[in-house]
Amino acid sequence: MPTAKEIVGKFSELKTLPHVAIKVGKLANNENSTMSDFEEIIKLDPVLVTRLLRLVNSPYFGLVQKIESISKAVVFTGMKQLRNLVAIESLRGMFKGGVEGEFSPQKLWLHSATVAILAEMIAKRIFGQEAEDVFLAGIIHDIGLIVEFQIVGDQLREACLEFKNGKGTIIECEQRCIGTDHSEVGYLLAKGWNLPDEVLKGIKTHHYTEKKKAVSSMGSILQLAEFMAAKMNYWPVPGPIEPLPADLARHVKNMMANYKIIIRDVPQEMEKAKELYAADE
Amino acid sequence: MTVDPTFDSIFDDLIDGDDSLYSFMEIIRPLMADCSIFLQSDSGNELLSEPSFVPPVDKDELIAEARRTDSLVSTVLTGGEFCYVMLIGKLNIVLLVVFSKDFAGEKGRTLFFRNTLSLALIKQEHAALVADKEQALKEINVFKQQHGKLIEDNYRQYNLNQEREKEYARKLESEIAKQTAELREANVRLEEISRLKSDFLANMSHELRTPMNAIIGFSELLAETKLDAEQADYTRTIVSSAGSLLSLINDILDLAKIEAGKMELENVICDLPEVVHNVTAMFKIPARDKNVEITCEIDDRIPRKIIGDGNRLRQVLINLAGNSMKFTEKGRIDIKLDYEMRVGRQIMVRFSVQDTGIGIPADRVEAIFDKFTQADGSTTRKFGGTGLGLAICQQLVGLMGGTLKVASEYGKGSTFYFVLPFEEASETMAAPAPEQAPEHVPAESGRILLVDDNAVNQRLASIIIAKLGYEVEVAGDGLEALELLKIHDFDLVLMDIQMPNMDGMTATRKVREIEADPQLRRQYQSLNSSQDPLPVLGLTAHVRKEDEEACYAAGMNGFLTKPIIKKKLAEILAEKLAGRQ
Repeated sequence: MPTAKEIVGKFSELKTLPHVAIKVGKLANNENSTMSDFEEIIKLDPVLVTRLLRLVNSPYFGLVQKIESISKAVVFTGMKQLRNLVAIESLRGMFKGGVEGEFSPQKLWLHSATVAILAEMIAKRIFGQEAEDVFLAGIIHDIGLIVEFQIVGDQLREACLEFKNGKGTIIECEQRCIGTDHSEVGYLLAKGWNLPDEVLKGIKTHHYTEKKKAVSSMGSILQLAEFMAAKMNYWPVPGPIEPLPADLARHVKNMMANYKIIIRDVPQEMEKAKELYAADE
Repeated sequence: MTVDPTFDSIFDDLIDGDDSLYSFMEIIRPLMADCSIFLQSDSGNELLSEPSFVPPVDKDELIAEARRTDSLVSTVLTGGEFCYVMLIGKLNIVLLVVFSKDFAGEKGRTLFFRNTLSLALIKQEHAALVADKEQALKEINVFKQQHGKLIEDNYRQYNLNQEREKEYARKLESEIAKQTAELREANVRLEEISRLKSDFLANMSHELRTPMNAIIGFSELLAETKLDAEQADYTRTIVSSAGSLLSLINDILDLAKIEAGKMELENVICDLPEVVHNVTAMFKIPARDKNVEITCEIDDRIPRKIIGDGNRLRQVLINLAGNSMKFTEKGRIDIKLDYEMRVGRQIMVRFSVQDTGIGIPADRVEAIFDKFTQADGSTTRKFGGTGLGLAICQQLVGLMGGTLKVASEYGKGSTFYFVLPFEEASETMAAPAPEQAPEHVPAESGRILLVDDNAVNQRLASIIIAKLGYEVEVAGDGLEALELLKIHDFDLVLMDIQMPNMDGMTATRKVREIEADPQLRRQYQSLNSSQDPLPVLGLTAHVRKEDEEACYAAGMNGFLTKPIIKKKLAEILAEKLAGRQ
């Protein structure tokens, strides 16, 4: 069985994140970058410019003023938001294709978007944290599944089937059929993308069942968001939904009233962000 | 896909029924402190306000009735206590309350029950609202934080950009400074090269004119000897070829001078009609030979005397007329000067030379002004010429402030024309000294020292001088000349400029030094014989203005350009020797 590294290596030969996304990621982490740097790099891809401006002007950002340039987008939304949008635009294409066996990339995209939005809500409303990074982590937390789908498709489908038939968690089924799992594969792939460590860690730990991470950590927030998304039927792989780890369950229980409100508000937040995750026209 | 999740469907695993019972009990217990309370969820979980409380035996029936009717069910228990049962639809909880038998009246009891229930529900809702508010506050705080960060970040970017712009400006400045320095250096180099080129040309001109001097001089001397018809014909050919060669050399030197920016125009009074008539007169004979008519016409409004460079203007007109003459087999050549207009003190004069010659094909019109180019290759073979003439004319006209243009029709003829601005010469302006040496110079007697290092030139000049009736002695360089001035009495020195050992300039300066020192002067016969300074005439192949100035600066009284023209030599010798003896 191939190792996670081999799988990621093979995938990287097939598909790479656009150059511009990697550069933008680097810029967003650099204290010496300015809006002009973003403008310079992004304007090389006029299609991307158009798409980004459409997103920036979508209800998700709720800006009063119409944004007509990338540098203005940086001014009004910040570098991290722009980085997220570039990532969304760059990744959208990887999540293409219909159902094959028990796995649907398109459903996974919708799932990822839902997790991103829920994670953002939880981070902001429950923990009072800024949420750009956790949103990005939500978008890419399951990228490992896409890698496996492309490189070891048969084994993934087998794992999904086992999962559906109740033969363990998705991670357990993947480990059995593939020899690794999507959190490890996704982590290795995203490592090459100039993302903040916290985001990488979030991807790696979002399926941890034992108490290995703080409740307010990105991994926990992702896990909680994924749980809620799965319950809302935004789940790409049919099968039993993994229960929350004990500490997370306790946290939710203690914050019942708060989570009630989040669930109440999810539909309108999803609606606002529609343009972010809508399929290509 | 629409999202319509309910809280319970998402977190049903976490809700163990008791939760809502506990929370509601917590709210309602303090409100109904005097009563015993029993709660039951729809899944059957039950909760008592105090463990000691024993619910009525028929509670299940009462609860069922309350659920069924969805209204208040009341009863009196066996102990006389009052029991109220009611379904709280919103929470799906049945509330059972037991009042003591002395608890107010029925009306008060019912009112108390209903009001307290409402209050409890409001309190519960309040708790949710508080949570909602807390979330909103947290969200607002995050927004505030983000907003603050955004502003800070924008400020940081703004500063960075400013810094970058300054850096860029600094770089730009230093880059410009660097390039300017480089350009300046290159310029110095180019100037140096240009100077070397112009020196080279001066030298070339010397080198070329020295043998030309001999060829022209000796062939003229030869023509004066007794020759048979065939010899005379050959000699004429040599004279005319040498003349062509000299004019060609002059053309090349002129062009080089113009291109090196060394051509300086004179601004003196000149007689415009005279210049034009002279040119026309020059071509009368060749025109008659070819049976071509040549005329000139000058507008009356053009003043006679203008300020300009008559020599250069003449050169242009000669070139153009010569050109026309070359390419016109029959018909006419008209030189015209038209008055165009007056702009302030300037008078615009249009010069044109029109011919009925072969004309220029339209696609070659541009090219004819290029150096070494004629209208087509065959022209050179048929008509000869180097093609330098028009290039020089164009440059000269340009220097004088005009543009040489041509209108031509192939096979019908061409018109070359240009417009030049001139200032009218005012009456008060001094005319240049007229060069009116007498036509025939009476042969003077006198001893002349010829200083020249070139044997051929020595011989040629000696012969010419001797033929003019003067005595002549020869020195090979400046040192030799000074020696001879010591022991012989000379009336005039013809001094070559470039010579080995001591050049002409140095020798002349030496002469003037000696003249200034009475004691030394006595040792030199030539200098001692007269109170006046000894006339020294420079002999130079250089025709540059600076060379001319250098001659006078060294103390010379005049100069002759080589090749020596007999007539000019006769004139200048007669003039300079007139005062002596």
